[in-house]
Amino acid sequence: MRQLFPTGPETDARHILAELTADPDDGPLVCGDERVIDFLTRFARKLLAPGTARAYPELASLGFFLRKGEIGKALRSVHTTDGVFRFPRGLAFHVPPANVDTIFVYSWALSALAGNRNVVRVSPRTAGAGQAVLDALNEIDVHPAIAQTQRMVGYQRDDEATAALSAACDLRVLWGGDRAIAALRRHPLAPHARELTFPDRASFAAISLPGWRKASQTERREAVRGFYNDAYWFDQAACASPRAVFWIGEPAEAPGAQREFRALLREVLDEQRYVTDPAMAVQQRVAGYGMAADGLASGLGFDAGVATIQLAEPGAVPREWLAAGTFAHATLRTLPELAKIVRRKDQTLTQFGFTDDELARFVRATGGSGVDRIVSFGSALTFSPVWDGYDLLHEFTRLVTVRST
Amino acid sequence: MSAADGLLPELAALTEHHRERCQPYARILDALGVPREFSDVEELPWLPVRMFKTHELRSVPDDEVFKVLTSSGTTGGGASRIYLDKDAAAAQTRHLGATLRAVLGPKRLPMLMVDTVGIIKNRREFSARGAGVLGMATFGRDHTYLLDEHDEPDVGALRNFLARHGGAPFLIFGFTFMVWQYLYEVAREHSLDLSNGILIHSGGWKKLADRAVDNEEFRRRFRADTGLARVHNYYGMIEQIGTVFLEGPSGDGLYCPDFADVVIRDPETWARQPIGVPGVIQVMSTLPRSYPGHVLLTEDLGVLHGVDDGDWPGKRFSVLGRLPRAEVRGCSDTFAARGAAA
Repeated sequence: MRQLFPTGPETDARHILAELTADPDDGPLVCGDERVIDFLTRFARKLLAPGTARAYPELASLGFFLRKGEIGKALRSVHTTDGVFRFPRGLAFHVPPANVDTIFVYSWALSALAGNRNVVRVSPRTAGAGQAVLDALNEIDVHPAIAQTQRMVGYQRDDEATAALSAACDLRVLWGGDRAIAALRRHPLAPHARELTFPDRASFAAISLPGWRKASQTERREAVRGFYNDAYWFDQAACASPRAVFWIGEPAEAPGAQREFRALLREVLDEQRYVTDPAMAVQQRVAGYGMAADGLASGLGFDAGVATIQLAEPGAVPREWLAAGTFAHATLRTLPELAKIVRRKDQTLTQFGFTDDELARFVRATGGSGVDRIVSFGSALTFSPVWDGYDLLHEFTRLVTVRST
Repeated sequence: MSAADGLLPELAALTEHHRERCQPYARILDALGVPREFSDVEELPWLPVRMFKTHELRSVPDDEVFKVLTSSGTTGGGASRIYLDKDAAAAQTRHLGATLRAVLGPKRLPMLMVDTVGIIKNRREFSARGAGVLGMATFGRDHTYLLDEHDEPDVGALRNFLARHGGAPFLIFGFTFMVWQYLYEVAREHSLDLSNGILIHSGGWKKLADRAVDNEEFRRRFRADTGLARVHNYYGMIEQIGTVFLEGPSGDGLYCPDFADVVIRDPETWARQPIGVPGVIQVMSTLPRSYPGHVLLTEDLGVLHGVDDGDWPGKRFSVLGRLPRAEVRGCSDTFAARGAAA
């Protein structure tokens, strides 16, 4: 087992666990621990350094998330009243996905802020932004209590290590594909321990046709720029990236609005100097043709970098990744009709042109059957302390209640 | 009028034929808004070759399927499944034979296989390589397999073969890297004379790239060190079984048989690339009648060198390699399957 943060000699799960279990000399971590806050804010400054932020824009977002003001806001949300005490859960074992380099840092940072001891298994394939995170962490002059309680390790497929860490932890946080999660779940937890999983999700966009009509040309272009960021940043493969666009309103208006949207998206791709990889262009065709062959698509259109699939019916919405820049389109008269289509697997609805009332009516109509969050175009990938429907600081802590009468 | 234009009526009729008989294919064409008439082969709708891995595409009813060919799934997404009825199976052998006769002559020649006999004996693990060897064996006689059961070159068998047949034209067949690794190196080491051989080989140059052997070097060294000068690389795929694009005698490019054509496309605009500009290879053949494989976009890059200006009439082109796989970031299992993640 390699020690990636803090760096150290080759070790094993037994040693890591022994070191993690001992209390730091100046006392165990508490929820909202000053030592953690100091560490995270210094980490944030590293991420916001111009060189790092330029090379990896997603690290700048992470840096913003960890600024002192944001941390304070998050901590205020778990403020307790008299007679209620909030404590860390204990030892948290995190297994992040291999390919989204940085999302695990959010859940780890919140778990640290909750006062947990953390061991994170970083994917052996980590490179780029993930490596930059480790480099930034290792450049910080770390308080001994942090170095002792916050550990990032790397190991190749090793059931023994995973089993030992699983058995010892109070909280296990799993990210990744459904298969990867199923494989990790073979390793039992202690009876009192709990688990939080972030499996494969699907996300969509919804555009209000009246809202689109009312918007100025500038607002429409800005919306499409936001959509571009949501969809193209991670090759449309982040869980929150929209895979389909629902046009909500009078069906007769949809084709014209859609044509304009498609043209604007093309312009944004040019503006961003987006280059379609030839293999990805072929993948777009394979995905679109496949949906047509299965009777799920009634129309296909291909512009450079953008594949447009007209769904044969709105319920045929794709929930699997198709190809970067591949969008299924469907039209519905009202947003509550979409409530009948969404499922538990559906995570983010990025929206343009709806009122708060319309969105609230939609959410009530779902009855919680699907969609964890609704955000405006451009914010799909912005992490929030409430993720996949979980208020993470609440999940990462536990309560002790005291009543004398 | 070039040969390619001559194929338009037949390819357009095939498009209609498959449209009527293969529902998934018809749905794709309808979704694309493909017209019923075409003024140029370039307008014909192409299918990405990978569709045969993801979908069952056939234009014959279940009870007329005579043979199902499967490819090894080297690019992910499983194996291609190609459905042949009796007529299609017979036609592919006949057309492959006609193409090869251009370089082999009318008579079947003694044949040296640069492979092991095990590759065709073990029917249970029948591979694409085995299918290639078996398909080609029909065009020769008195087969000798160069490799023994441990995949080691059997120099004694090679000497025997040359003693019996080396004085007159004989046929050599094998996969490019095996031909190089086993036949070339052994023949050079033992100073064997292959000057009456006609080598037919295929499989690509990727495995030879780290030895700095490309087509030119391959031909040059075979000629210099073994006397073998009649060398024909070919390009073909299971999804267009029976159609091979054979290299001209001087090695100036691959040529289309008279029932096939090729177009190089710009991967950004999908427009036809001019001569000399690399792009994605699209292959067309009038052979596939039992499955809609008559117009296919491959996942290979190629370049057109010229038209009617080489060894043989028609277009000549080269294959430059595979399209590089798209690397994708993301959190799903999809990428594990594509070889990029967890």
